[in-house]
Amino acid sequence: MRMRLKRVSAVARFEFLAVVKRWSYLIATFGLPLFLALVSGTVLGVQTYFLSQRAVESSAFGLVDEASVVDQSVFESRDGARIWTADGNDIIFFDDAETAAKQLEEGVLRSVYVIQSDYLETGEVRAIQSDKTPLLSMRGTVIEPILRSLLRKSLLGGEVEKAVEERVINPARFVRSRLGPGGAEVASVDEALELLMRTTIPLFLGILLLTALLSASGYLVQTVTTDKESKIVEVLLSSVTPEEILAGKLFGLGAAGLLQFGVWSSMVVVVALAASAALAAVVAVPWAALVISPVLFVLGYLFLGSLMLATAALGANAAESQKLTMGWAMLAILPLMVLVVLLEDPNGTLGQTMTWIPFTSPLTVIIRLSVDAPGVAWWEVAGSIAVLVISIGLAIRVGARLFRVGFLLTGSRPSLKELWRQAR
Amino acid sequence: MGILAYRGVTKRFGQHTALDQVSLEVEPGEVFGLLGPNGAGKTTLIRIGLDILRADEGEVLIFGEPPRRESLDRAAYLPEERGVYRRAKVRELLEYLGKLKGMARPAAREATDRWLERVGLARVAHQRVESLSKGMTQKVQIAACLMSEPELCVLDEPFSGLDPVNVALITDLIDERRAQGRTTVLSTHMMHQVEALCDRVAMVHQGRLVVYGKLDDVRRRYSLNEVIVWTGVDLVALGMQAQPYKAGSWRIALGPNDTASGYLEGLIRNGVTVDRYEPLVARMDDIFVRVVSEEL
Repeated sequence: MRMRLKRVSAVARFEFLAVVKRWSYLIATFGLPLFLALVSGTVLGVQTYFLSQRAVESSAFGLVDEASVVDQSVFESRDGARIWTADGNDIIFFDDAETAAKQLEEGVLRSVYVIQSDYLETGEVRAIQSDKTPLLSMRGTVIEPILRSLLRKSLLGGEVEKAVEERVINPARFVRSRLGPGGAEVASVDEALELLMRTTIPLFLGILLLTALLSASGYLVQTVTTDKESKIVEVLLSSVTPEEILAGKLFGLGAAGLLQFGVWSSMVVVVALAASAALAAVVAVPWAALVISPVLFVLGYLFLGSLMLATAALGANAAESQKLTMGWAMLAILPLMVLVVLLEDPNGTLGQTMTWIPFTSPLTVIIRLSVDAPGVAWWEVAGSIAVLVISIGLAIRVGARLFRVGFLLTGSRPSLKELWRQAR
Repeated sequence: MGILAYRGVTKRFGQHTALDQVSLEVEPGEVFGLLGPNGAGKTTLIRIGLDILRADEGEVLIFGEPPRRESLDRAAYLPEERGVYRRAKVRELLEYLGKLKGMARPAAREATDRWLERVGLARVAHQRVESLSKGMTQKVQIAACLMSEPELCVLDEPFSGLDPVNVALITDLIDERRAQGRTTVLSTHMMHQVEALCDRVAMVHQGRLVVYGKLDDVRRRYSLNEVIVWTGVDLVALGMQAQPYKAGSWRIALGPNDTASGYLEGLIRNGVTVDRYEPLVARMDDIFVRVVSEEL
């Protein structure tokens, strides 16, 4: 049965305007990104402020050498004290532990390190913190490697060649690189940064897609419940077919969801552009995933949305409709549940299988393209789109029948037998 | 050929038979009363007629053919359980429902303005439906139903919740439709409205058609062959079998072979001055109660 496009577009337009004029929609679409930007900006600002405040606070540490092993040549006399400045930290050399402890109590020092007299036998260095210093101090983690290097240097002093001494102090400087698609070596990247980019962008895109999908689907459940509770559905069904109502609602609310997705994903594009510029092409921005994600969003939404509309209509009230649609949402979330596997092996059996399942393909394809775009064949992307298109056609046909039954059998949920009879 | 015809229509919901072999026809240009107690199957019958539900057995013809999308554009329905988008503005809602009936946007706008004016709601065109009273909301729904000037219109309890002024307005609208040759199916429990408006009626009870025909014929069929005579003369004193009715009037049961006109002639012949004379035809209220009670 062919649908009358004018009727479908009338339903779509009405549903679209009904949603986008709501305060909740406007806040979620435009207010949420602004709110998130505001919150993260504030958090970053506050954090930066406090860290800089801490930085200007005392960054002096005391060092007492009871074992007489430290090479004191690095210390220079300044203001009547022997000070070694390393990585922005002042390490003050004390002859006795009492003086150092007194300055620690007065708050001049953040902590005092005492190299025990039996250090050579035990390797023990006592670290005494002031009560103002937090137990887990970032400064502590910075100063201790410096002291270790100083001790290594002091212990080796003159015993080995200069070059060997340097290597003992700094045994390795890892230079990382990886092979590009043509086999050529590309610029080396910091592993931590790459790991961050490899996981953050697909995760972010995935959550974004899922949030937009679920948000749009939420509107679908809401509209079905409204129609059912307001009893307007009989008026609609005496004018248009269930297929036309279902398609109109899908397109109208899908457009509202797409608008929301567009606003949100524009943030990602801005961040990606900024990151791209900042990292000077050191890290590849997953443009393929960014470009294909709206297409997959629309298809994934139409597929899941038609199933959600049909099942929502079977619920006796809003709460029941919500519960009935949760199953579809859980299926859509599957790729995020196995994200670790997909990140580790994007083109493995699991990734390839989930590419062909309409419930999981939108998110899987986006994750795979984000992590390893060259590893995804064009026919896999085209195939997943084709599977989605076919699935949408089937879902709308079956969905429209269930939709009619669900709407008209109000008050109680129809039995499976009744559903089957009406859906044929 | 009926504009809406049911032939042997049966509909079951699980073990419950909502309609059992119902056959009736609604003729073009008439006001057809669809009557019956609550739960009798009237709404199911209407839904099947408008292709909202499908019959399990039997055939339905609308405009002489099985229901098609095109034929449904020529019909409109005001359900008993009325629905509106409460957050929509009145004008938006009417335009939308007009477009769903296949009206182009300018035509839907023009019809919206005209019908809002007709039902006296032009001043609330830009208000949200939720801000309207129940009666005003009902008039919006009636306007939505009639704005496409449908050839067939099914009104399920259009008078419920309306004040007498608005009842008169809806009555006028239905009369106008009849004058224009348009068909109206009226389902209501207000029997005096049925008597005032309907040309023919059908009564459904427990899923079966129990009364069907012209309104006058049905009323006569259930009448007890009685007359009311308003006169200053004491009819009992004249030896007649009369019972006092209201002040100055007598109720007389006629014999099986007597006619009302013959009896009046007899009265005049006997020198009785008759101020007013009324053959007593059964009221639809009484017929309704009687049919439903007999079937219980």
